[in-house]
Amino acid sequence: MNNLRFLTKTGDLYRHILLIILIGLMLFPYGITFIISGKSIPQFYDAPFKITLPFYWSNYKEAWEEIKFYLRNSIIVSGFSVIGVVVMSVLSAYAFARYKFPGREVLYYLVISLLMIPGVLTLIPSFMLVKYLGLLNTRWALFLPYISGGQVFAIFILRSFFASIPTDYFDAARIDGASELQILRHVTLPLSWSIIGVVAVMNVLGTWNDLIWPLVTLQDTRLYTLTVGLYNFRNSYYTVWGPLMAGYIIGSIPLIILFIFTSKLFVEGLASGAIKM
Amino acid sequence: MKGIGKNIWRYRYGYLFILPTMILLCIFNYYPAFSGLYHSLFDWAVGGESKFIGLRNFIEIISDKNFHASVINVAKLTIWNLLVPTLIVPIFVAELIYNLHSQRAKYIYRVLVITPMVIPGIVNLLIWQFIYDADYGLLNAILKSIGLGHLSRSWLGDPNTALYAIMAMGFPWIGGTTVLIYLAGLMNIPASVFDAALIDGVVGLKRFFSIDLPLITSQIKLNIILSLIGTIQGYGTMLVLTGGGPGTSTLVPGLYMYQAAFNYGRMGFASAVGVLLFLVILILTIINMRYISSPAEYEAQ
Repeated sequence: MNNLRFLTKTGDLYRHILLIILIGLMLFPYGITFIISGKSIPQFYDAPFKITLPFYWSNYKEAWEEIKFYLRNSIIVSGFSVIGVVVMSVLSAYAFARYKFPGREVLYYLVISLLMIPGVLTLIPSFMLVKYLGLLNTRWALFLPYISGGQVFAIFILRSFFASIPTDYFDAARIDGASELQILRHVTLPLSWSIIGVVAVMNVLGTWNDLIWPLVTLQDTRLYTLTVGLYNFRNSYYTVWGPLMAGYIIGSIPLIILFIFTSKLFVEGLASGAIKM
Repeated sequence: MKGIGKNIWRYRYGYLFILPTMILLCIFNYYPAFSGLYHSLFDWAVGGESKFIGLRNFIEIISDKNFHASVINVAKLTIWNLLVPTLIVPIFVAELIYNLHSQRAKYIYRVLVITPMVIPGIVNLLIWQFIYDADYGLLNAILKSIGLGHLSRSWLGDPNTALYAIMAMGFPWIGGTTVLIYLAGLMNIPASVFDAALIDGVVGLKRFFSIDLPLITSQIKLNIILSLIGTIQGYGTMLVLTGGGPGTSTLVPGLYMYQAAFNYGRMGFASAVGVLLFLVILILTIINMRYISSPAEYEAQ
């Protein structure tokens, strides 16, 4: 970093101050949310934005009772979908990267061209399709399109990674008599866990946050995912701010936990869009 | 024929591995895309029965006043989103982070700017809904506390402010992903470029405009495309917060499509709206890729 010497230590100080102000403003609403989540009704009307003690934990209990099923549903949906996406996209990306079968290029570009198809074009026909297949109001209406659509970006990222692994590794394994599946399992996967992690985290982020698709395909409140559930919860708790805010916080916890353990993958994954170009 | 069969057998693993992917994609991705294009020419009912009506859906859309209103709204949103949350603020923040000396501080800020990404989108929306609330909202409380109480209102319920309130959401518009993409671009610029600039006395703003900015053109293009696609087809915010209202003040084409389909059951008409949006996105993407020139583009990787 010697080449940046003209940017003095003082310059760094200004940068820190600006960044802290900007990030502080960005995080401010979450702070308020947390403060309100600990208020009883009289505490809220008394001083809505100041910290009031005692912290009213029963808001959390109340909110938990309301949204625990939504959380469970979201974990099932995102969990099952991400497993499907990883398994299928690893197999496909490996084939596209490593086997020179006839038609490989054409098929690969057919897959990748789906990145150009926006959700607005397919929302209505997809809805009609799952309706026709009788999947409305079942988890399959989420699993199947999520797995299918999630693969595309995953294959795109994984294929370029697999293609960058030196062929020597595969040749050596083949000479040692390893089968194709053994090569995939014992050579490719151990080298690829972190990129697979990136792909998995990005996929979970997408399905976990999706609102519109579960909103139109699920009617049964017992199947609601977290996003639809919180939307619903807001409508029934409108103006009962304490439990409402507690619910928002509980709903955020799973991703926060995921983020704490995989923040490196998040940083890499979110920037990986840059490889796209 | 025997040769082809032999070839397929030889590459059986390749075909076998992509088979599940291709089957799912055909059913859940290719089919809906073609079905959408096809049914945009039909009167398509929720029950599935359809009747060919040529371009009548498109003619109706193009002559509908509500659709015009939605296009104007999305145009305003697009201009705003491109300027502020896609270009100005994230590039500024990326430069701030990039020019820090401490690698550790850089990493910490990189993690901090993406923290809002881990709050579910719906929670972000609902928190902003609370901020704009007429009676208990944070914004009105702040205005009151600084003596501007007369300005307070239901920000999302007032047709004069609803669209601007939606634009202002996410203040200060840092945009974590966008910042990370710019940072990736800046970090790819070879140190020798900065060395040379330093020797020539190109520093500060001059360096920013003559070196940094031209060398992250491909990241700028990427962020512009992502922002365009997101804004033009996005409507989740309006669906949750305003339903397109009051009146048509926050109606956008995506929501117009959603309402045609799920409030009025007009699947063919809604598909036609989807096709129009798809075409607009496609054209803008092509223009962006081809004509927004990059004089000194540095090819990363």
